[in-house]
Amino acid sequence: MSKISVDKLSIKFRIYHDRSPSLKDYVANLFRGKRQAAYSDFWAVRDISLEFNSGDRVGIVGHNGAGKSTLLKALCRVYESSDGKVTVDGRVAPLLEIGAGFHPEFTGRENIYLNGTILGYSEAQLRLIEPEVIAFAELEEFIDTPVKYYSTGMYMRLAFSLATAMHPDILILDEVFAGGDAGFMKKATARMFEMIDRANIMIMVSHDHKLVRSLCNRVVWLDHGRVVLDGPSDEVIDKYLESITNA
Amino acid sequence: MIEKLKRSASEIYTSRAVLSRLVRQQLTLRYRRTVLGYLWTLVNPLLMMSVMAMVFSTIMKEDVKVFTVFLFAGMIPWTCFSSIVVQSGGAFINNEGLIKKIYLPKILFPLSISLGVLIDSALSFFALFVIILAVGGEVSQALFFLPVAYLLVFVFSLGVGLMAAVATVFFRDLQYVIQIAMQGLFFLTPVLYKKDMLSGVVADLVAFNPVVPFVELFRAPLSHASLPADDVIIKALVISIFSIVLGLGTLLAQEKKVVFRL
Repeated sequence: MSKISVDKLSIKFRIYHDRSPSLKDYVANLFRGKRQAAYSDFWAVRDISLEFNSGDRVGIVGHNGAGKSTLLKALCRVYESSDGKVTVDGRVAPLLEIGAGFHPEFTGRENIYLNGTILGYSEAQLRLIEPEVIAFAELEEFIDTPVKYYSTGMYMRLAFSLATAMHPDILILDEVFAGGDAGFMKKATARMFEMIDRANIMIMVSHDHKLVRSLCNRVVWLDHGRVVLDGPSDEVIDKYLESITNA
Repeated sequence: MIEKLKRSASEIYTSRAVLSRLVRQQLTLRYRRTVLGYLWTLVNPLLMMSVMAMVFSTIMKEDVKVFTVFLFAGMIPWTCFSSIVVQSGGAFINNEGLIKKIYLPKILFPLSISLGVLIDSALSFFALFVIILAVGGEVSQALFFLPVAYLLVFVFSLGVGLMAAVATVFFRDLQYVIQIAMQGLFFLTPVLYKKDMLSGVVADLVAFNPVVPFVELFRAPLSHASLPADDVIIKALVISIFSIVLGLGTLLAQEKKVVFRL
């Protein structure tokens, strides 16, 4: 059984006021003795403790900059904690931005292997899913063309088909819902729901409250890097929407 | 530190499939859709070095054949070293898109680049070796030392490359500084000339150049048909261990910060 526990997690960003420090500034500051504070710290996630257990379908809501994506990235280990700890039991499929590992010069087929390996699929698994991925993306004709010649829709279809080809224990989604024409949207949504259905734990960030209500059984409301409310979907979303209309 | 190192090693092992994909990407990408394709990797240094051999053998008043072997033997380790360091310098900044989206052990980026360069270098070595034979280079048992020489120069370059990769993330100017430093270092390394031709300040500088023993590791078996002197081997060994320890230490200490600074 999968499990994620987040223990007093904090993530700090350093914001540079003018520009990234050059070697010259660094050396100059060394000699000046006292270092000027050319940056300030920004806590994107502050002292969050959460536990996700098997069966959880978690939606994360909050206004822009509340730390939702940062929290997801911390769960996927992209950001390491500045303080506190994240423990993950189970195989995580991070779908933060599909098609991130695609290389424009490579053909669609080569990208299936390159990106698939990066997503953690084995060579044998990839050989197995390759025909299905190509068929789902409806790219049979163009699969041996470099992806830089693909239209945005073709690119999205391939990335989506590949990312959703496997069924991971823990599914982490950041506003990932496929683009494409109406026909593809329909079958992609069905595929997405199936993937969510089969996942042991699903955590998603979305601004689409209807979607969150229909997919999640638990919602975490974040504000300025802290948890405001954590509970059943309808209850938390109602309070969140209330706070927006009152503000 | 030892604990971190162990974890890092097991991470590399589990992501070896990604590593081999990245190496393949590095090797096949450059000459995509050119007629000669991968052959450019071999043709390029061959043509470059042939021109250099012609020009500098005249300047140095050396026999072309002797000088060609001498030059090739020096260029192989030098090119391997400088390519690894320069290309590793951009390892993290050029993969920003990937690093910010998905977790991969950070060492994979400079390591895949370095392995790619090593493979390129080994293949162009075979092409150069054919030329060395054609111009009458001596074949001896000392040639069996070359894999060891390659291993040493790789470990040394990887260590410097790791430091370059990390440092460039923090100080972007370094990408350009490294390129200029490499050009300078090239002339302070006895590739075009013999070490004993120097005197004065330059000779002192060259004495401190850590790349020199690695050039000698290749030059002795290829150009003089003899094993490198013991003290050269020991020097190279010490320098490469020092370099890799420093490189890995830098990476392990800073790797968590890299993503925040991209």
